[in-house]
Parts: sequence; structure tokens; C-alpha cells
Amino acid sequence: MKKSQMYMRMIFASLMRRRSRMLVALLSIAIGATILSGLVTVYYDVPRQMGAQFRNYGANLILTGTDGGFSLEDTEKALKVFAKDELVGAAPFRYENIRIHEHPVVAAGTDMEGAKATSPFWRVEGDWCSTDGQIMVGKNVAESFRLKAGEMLTLSFTPENAPKDTPDETIDLEITGILDTGGSEEDYVYLSLHDLETLTGAGDLDVCEVSVSAQSDQLKVYADQIGVTVPAISAHLVKRVTASETTVLSKLQALVLLVTVVVLALTMICVATTMTAVVTERRKEIGLRKAIGASDKSIIGEFLGESMMLGGIGGILGAALGFVFAQQVSVHVFGSSIRFQWLLVPVTILVSIVVTGLSSLLPIRSATEVDPALVLKGE
Amino acid sequence: MSLLELKHIYKIYGELHALDDVSLKVEKGEWVSIMGPSGSGKSTMMNIIGCMDKPSKGEVLLDGVDIAKESAKNLTAIRRDKIGLIFQQFHLVNYLTAVENVMLAQYYHSLPDEKEALEALDRVGLADRANHLPSQLSGGEQQRVCVARALINYPEIILADEPTGNLDEANEEIVVDLFHKLHDEGTTLIVVTHDPEVAEVAQRTLVLRNGRLHKEIVNQNFTGKIHFEDMESFRKEEKGNA
Amino acid sequence: MFIRMLRGTLLRQWKKMLMIAFTIALGASLASAMLSVMLDVGDKVNQELKTYGANITVVPKASSVLTDLYDVEDENGTGAYLREDELGKIKTIFWAFNIVDYSPFVSTQVTLPDGSEAKITGSWFNHHMELPTGETLDAGIGSMRSWWEITDGTWLDEQNAAQENSAMIGTTLAERLGVKAGDTLRLEGSASALDLHIVGVYDAGGDEDEQLFAPLNTVQTLADLDGKIDSIEVSALTTPDNELAERAAKDPSSLTVAQYEIWYCTAYASSICYQIQEVITDSVAAPVRQVADSEGAILEKTQLLMILITILSLIGAALGICNLVTASVMERSGEIGLMKAIGAQNGSVSGLVLTEIFITAIFGGVIGFLAGFGFAQIIGHTVFGSAVTLKPMVIPITAVLVVLVTLAGSIPAIRMLLRLRPAEVLHGGH
Repeated sequence: MKKSQMYMRMIFASLMRRRSRMLVALLSIAIGATILSGLVTVYYDVPRQMGAQFRNYGANLILTGTDGGFSLEDTEKALKVFAKDELVGAAPFRYENIRIHEHPVVAAGTDMEGAKATSPFWRVEGDWCSTDGQIMVGKNVAESFRLKAGEMLTLSFTPENAPKDTPDETIDLEITGILDTGGSEEDYVYLSLHDLETLTGAGDLDVCEVSVSAQSDQLKVYADQIGVTVPAISAHLVKRVTASETTVLSKLQALVLLVTVVVLALTMICVATTMTAVVTERRKEIGLRKAIGASDKSIIGEFLGESMMLGGIGGILGAALGFVFAQQVSVHVFGSSIRFQWLLVPVTILVSIVVTGLSSLLPIRSATEVDPALVLKGE
Repeated sequence: MSLLELKHIYKIYGELHALDDVSLKVEKGEWVSIMGPSGSGKSTMMNIIGCMDKPSKGEVLLDGVDIAKESAKNLTAIRRDKIGLIFQQFHLVNYLTAVENVMLAQYYHSLPDEKEALEALDRVGLADRANHLPSQLSGGEQQRVCVARALINYPEIILADEPTGNLDEANEEIVVDLFHKLHDEGTTLIVVTHDPEVAEVAQRTLVLRNGRLHKEIVNQNFTGKIHFEDMESFRKEEKGNA
Repeated sequence: MFIRMLRGTLLRQWKKMLMIAFTIALGASLASAMLSVMLDVGDKVNQELKTYGANITVVPKASSVLTDLYDVEDENGTGAYLREDELGKIKTIFWAFNIVDYSPFVSTQVTLPDGSEAKITGSWFNHHMELPTGETLDAGIGSMRSWWEITDGTWLDEQNAAQENSAMIGTTLAERLGVKAGDTLRLEGSASALDLHIVGVYDAGGDEDEQLFAPLNTVQTLADLDGKIDSIEVSALTTPDNELAERAAKDPSSLTVAQYEIWYCTAYASSICYQIQEVITDSVAAPVRQVADSEGAILEKTQLLMILITILSLIGAALGICNLVTASVMERSGEIGLMKAIGAQNGSVSGLVLTEIFITAIFGGVIGFLAGFGFAQIIGHTVFGSAVTLKPMVIPITAVLVVLVTLAGSIPAIRMLLRLRPAEVLHGGH
């Protein structure tokens, strides 16, 4: 039989037959590795996940015409610049002055689905418009005209340069909801682009709000790209949103990083103390091995091999459990699944092997220095 | 030349003289008992002979080499090659089977050989218990595994420290029988014990008291083989000394 | 005798006991650090989120319905104003402590030297206030427009008397007029004309780039609006809205007395709005949904994230301590066997071992708690630049955790040892 075979046989015997003790050690290593892989995964995913939360603040990029208005086709072309999974939503807006009961009101024609995505903070009492022929009115408008959801509303529009006595264009729309935003949107009415076109005739878009899940650096790149590919449109960052997002997000990431470092350092020390305890428990065995003629080197080799094996198994367990943990965090906190960081698997296993190995090396060395006769005599 | 010779050995711990000018010779193939009450220096002597400790003063010649001057690392090598140890507490690795415990000694010595290890267990009558863990073996069986482990590398000396101290009478008998067998095969045996029954079956019994060699009893009724030729002259010499 | 035996173990086995104490200290420090950070993270992140600007706006009652609606043509407003002398009252409401910043605004149209018109807004920049409570507060758009990028010159310094007739100008307008920081611009308001010194050019990334900003009284002089303001933007630390808050926001009178008390005494955006309306005459305060709602969502997520991380690390710490305590109790099988052999009852053996471990645990726990609080401070200062406040509840939680975990770690081991027969243990049954 080869020496290496006996070596493996001993290590497996120790791991398998001292099951309860080894499980205790394995558990602590696996917990350490779980925390490592779990927290690091969360750390890497925080910007992406939190970034999505920050989209609650609404549009972070505004498209306007380079000279005056721009068309819907231009917008579609411009939106192709964004990576698909980064584009949260885009809402084109066209503003016209119309009249309700002969009072001037600003009407905004938009794509309701887009507006819902770019302005998740809009609160609608009633329902969002789902088809043409419907309208949402701002809270202030509703208050001043005593409008309620479900009622019909007539909008009228006087075309510019129209001969004096031509009757106004009108359109009847059903009010589906009252809009509450706490901002100037409460003074407008919102309808579909198509309805606005029917009322006022064809016209250019004034602005398009875009909500992109990206940091300000990437947004600047996108804005420049749009300027090049669609010269009719110029894109601007909404500084208030992007600048603040960068500040808050970097703080949050720093927080998770620091917490990860502190937690990791403490868990590693915990693993180390456990390994120390596990090895110290076996001083007698080390003494015996010395007595029957083992050199210090071979004892260190065997015990180190055993703890590194333990570290490896713990690392594999931890890498898997850590991912499960990160996934749970992601699903519960952010409601979306996490990206699996493949690189983290070998790193976790390696770190866990190194930490376990190093933390058992010291007690093993000190155990081998002890006189075997003393250890064997002492009860 | 004697296999083992202790020349004026002292072991001093502060004020305490654990061994105080002890000299002794053990010939190849001899069976010697060392007796004495607690604190007489038995254990210290056993540790020195077993290369686990060094004397404060004096020479310990094992096969002509003075082990008192060797480094700890070399002592380990000498212990591995020349000495087989048997302990009162058995000291088996509790997660290795009987045969694996025997193979452990082979592993540190040279190469593990399961067949040879099984043969050694067969010699101590444990062939059928080879794959049991120490916890599944009786005390006597455990001590027999220790004997098998001690002799697996064909050591010059088998050094047993209270080998029967934890055994009942029946098992004690088995172990003593085993010693007889080993002695007949030519193994040098040094047995440290305070059980007179175990001690007196040896060829020679050295009695220690307060760190000194108190007296030496030669077993006139020794039934085993006598291996060395000049036994007669040796006996005369001993008598003269006394 | 009990005490004597106890002292014996603690003194003679101090190395082992130290290791247990050390592990418990580690666990306790982890627990207290994470709990402190977790409990304080809401406030900290809330502070950070203030960079998004005001989450409450206050406007005159009349104008809240009418400004944009009827006066698209009349640029000077409707004539409904808030009173400047009431501004200080905002810091006297029930949740005054949660109001971190606020700033009044008054705007008017002015005629520029090239004949075109532009909007100029008067506000506070870095207004210094001595509050009746003895506190001081620096408020204004200096902090409430933190996203402004100063492309030329500096922020206007209100405290500097030399900058009395000064203004800041938006990039777009500055470009159009060819104005730089250091230039002087003559503005003609509806009431009077002033020469304003431009101290800075800002890039706000929005409509404000086409405006001018000047100190409050400068604009009031231009438009003859002494003591009058258009609106107030308030930045307050708020609790995310729940169902109660939403109901109250619609109509506070629909609540029962008890509900009203809860609502009024919780820092919901709606209750702070309500309290502001109580102190500012004829005002309507409304949460800015874009900021208020998003803040709520982000706060909630951050707290949840921290809670989960805390739970994970607590479990880790607990299992680590459990492990070590178990291992160290098991190590003493010989001693316990001996005690039983000389006739000790199970109860007294367990009592002794438990007392030892608990003395060690208390020692380790206290040190760990202090170390953990230190860790929390490091995190607080590194990430948020401010100390983490010690929430009193961290102490009992940490204490209970340490006790539970130590018990959970030692009891099974002790039970196991008590089951052993003394003879086996003493004969080194291994």
C-alpha cells in the first residue's frame, strides 16, 4: 500500500468516524463560508437591486428636441440605444393648451404604460387610463371643476390662426382617475397621444421622460450616444435624481461592504477558535502519534490535510447555502432573483480552506511541541 | 555489547532527584521487569529508555548510540525504528480500526502493509477483530492491538508501561502469555509494572526505590528460553556485585 | 466550597475560560454592532435621502388650486401669499426635530438688459436661524439643491453682508446672456430695478437653468412683496406611509381619537403636513410624492436588507458560540466523571459548570458589547460620517442572546456528560 493511500484512509476515517465532532466543526466552517459567499453576493448585487428601487424617483433622463419638437419615430430610434434590461420605461409627452368649461388647462398626451413606469410615484384615485377615449385629471383640476372619476368630460381646443367664428374642436372623454402627485402634475390632465391628436391635430412631442436603471456615468454615455445617432433629439440627465442616486447608492454599498468586512472578520475568528478547540481536544492523539514515531512534519501534514478537507467541504456547502441566502434576501427585499456570481464559488472554497488550514496550523504546531510522555501520562 | 546500557543516570527536577545514579544493562533477547512504588522513578526511567525524555546527567547507550545526546528529532526516529511502546491506557486512535491502528505504526516507520498488519493481529489472536474500532473491543483486546502495533516494525526493544494495569485477571493472563511468546521468538522485553505477579515471570526484576536501584531479583525458575550465551557468567557477575 | 471550586476552575483553567470568553465576546460584539447599525440605518439613510430635496411643499390655500390653472398669462401670481414672519413656526411643531431643512420661495418676472424676460426666485441660501429652543439651524437651498453643479463662481453666501445685492444664474440663461460670475446684471422688476452682482452660475439639469436665484428680500424688493412668500419647501425625516397615514391624509376627522393620537404622534409625511398647516396661516402642505414615496420604498428595502444580514450574522455568531461551549464542556468529561465518582449529584455538577460558563459569558458579553458598539461607530463614521446612536434596546437583546446561546451550547453537552458512567470516563474510555 502506498503511503498516500494510508494518508487518505486516515483522514477519511477521522472525518467519517468522528462524525459528531466533525459535524460541529464543519457546521462552523460552513456558516463562515455561507456568510462569506452570501454577503459578497449581496454586496455585488446591491447597486443593481437598489438601483431598481431608485427608479421609484422616476425619470433620470429627459429627451428633448434639439430645435423645438421631435417625432415619436425619433424617440423610438433613440430608445434603441439602451440595453433592454436596463430600460425601465419611457413616456413621451406632448403638451397643448386646451379648455375645460372655457377655462384654459394644460393637457398632456402620453403613453399611459410608459408614464406608469417612469412615474411610479403617481397616485391615481380610480384607475389609470387603459384605452383611448379616457382621461386622468390632476387633483387640482378635479377640485376646481368638481370632477369625479367615472364622469364624462368635454375638452375643447381652438386651433391657432383659425377663422374667428369656427367652432372649437371638442372631444368627450371618460374620467378614469384623479391624479395625486404633490407636484405640478396635479394641475394637468392626461390623455392618450391619439386622443390629443384627434383634438388638436398632429404635432411634435415636447419631451420624453426615460427611466433607466444605470448610474450617472453610464447615463452620460447613453446621452452622448443618442446625440450622435438621433441628431434631432438631445438627452439630458435629471441631475436631481442622478446625482442624489449616486451619493446614496455609494453610501449604501459602502455600508454593506463594511458590514460584510466586520461580519466576515468576526466569523473567521469564530472558525479559527473552533478549529483551535477541535485540535486542542486531540492533543493526546498527537502525543500518541509522536510516541509511536511520527515526525512533527507528518503530524502537521495529517492534521492540516484533515482540516483543509473539512474547509473544502465547508466551503462547498457554504458557497451553495450562501447563494440560497442571497437569493432569499433578494426575493424578500427586492422581489427579484439574484445573479449567480460563478467566480465566488472557487473563491469561497479557497478562502474557507485557507482560513481553516491556517487556524488549525497554530494549535497543531503547539501540540507537536509538547512532550509525548507528558500528554500520554496526563489524564 | 549490551543492547541497552544506562550509565550513572540522573534525572533532577529542581530539588527532586527522580533518578539518582542508576546504572543498568539489558542484553538482547532478555526479559526484564522494572518494579517499584509510585514516585520511585519508574516512569522517568521508562520515558528515558523510550526516547521520550533525556537524563539530566549520564549516558544511555542503545545499540551503542548515546541517545542522551541526540536531538528531539533524532530521538523520534530512533524511537520509531528501535522501540515498540505499550501503554497502560492502551492509547489507540479511537477512530481507526484495529488493523488501521497497527498500520499507523507501519505508516510512520516505512510503508503501510495491510497484510502484514493482519498477520500481526493474528499473532495476538485478534484476526477476527481486525476491523473493529477500539470502542468495540474489550480492554484485553485493546491491549493486544497495542502489542501488535508495538511489534509490527520488529523493534529492538518492546517497552511496556503497566501493560496490565487496566486489565482484569483473565486478560492479564492473555497478555503475559503473549509476552512469553514474544520472548521465545527473541524479542527484548522491558516491562514496567508494580504488579509482582506480572514482574516475577520475567528473567530479572529491578526494583527501584526513591530513584535508586534498590535491589535486583533474578528469576531462578524462569521457564522461557535463555537467549544469550554468557548467562552463566552474567549471573556470577551479578552475584559478585550483590 | 462551591465558590471555592468555582474560583479554582476560573483561575486555573483561565486559558480555556478566556477562549470561551473571547468567542462569546466576538459573538456579542457582532450582535451589538449589527443591531446598532440595523436600528440606526433608517435614520442614517433618511438623512442621505435628503439630497433628493424637499419632500413636503407648502403653498397658500388659494393658490394651491389656481396658480397654474388660471394664471398662465398673469406671471406675477394670484395675490395669495404666505407670511414670511411665520416661517420660524415650522420649527415649533410637534415633529420639529424631524424637520431637517426648509426654505421659502418667492418668484417674479424681471426684464433683462436685452429686453427679454426671465423668472427670478428669492430664497434662503444658507440662512442662519436661532431657534427659541436654543438650537441653531442653517437652512436654505445651499443644502436643499445639493445636486446643483456650480460651473462658475461660488454659492451665494447670505451671511456675507457684501453679497447683499447678489444673485446666482442658471447655465442656460447665463449662456444666452453671455454672463459670467463677477458680472453685474441690471434687472427691472415690477416695482423697482436693481443691479445684481452675479456670484455663481449653476447647472441644475432642469427648468431652473433658465432662472435667476437671489436672496429673499432682494426679490421681494423687486416685486414689492415685502414679507410675502409664494411657497415653502420642507425637508423632513418621515416614516413610510401605511394604511392609517393614507386614510388620515384624506381626512383626519375620519379617525377615532386613539388613531388620531397615533397618527399625530408618528412622523408620517401626512401628519407633519397637517402640523405645518396648523402653524402657517392659510396654507396647504402636501407631500411631494416623487420624493416621499421613493424615500419610503428605499428606506424599507434598506432596513429589510440590514435585518436579514443581521439575522444571518446573529445565527452565525450563535452557532459559533454554541459550538465552542459544547466543545469545551465535553473536554471536561474526566473532571465531571471524577466529581460524580466522589458522589456529586447531577444538579450540583451542572450547577457548577453552568455557573462557570455564565461568569465567563457575562465577562465576554460585556466586553463584546462594548467592542461591538465601537464597530458600529466605525461603520457610522466611515459610511455616514456621523456617530451611530446607541439604542437602549440593543443591550437587553444582546444580553438575552448571549444567555440563550450559552445555555443552548452548554446544556446538551452537560446532559451528555451526566449520562456517562463515572468509571468509563475515569478509565479514559476512548
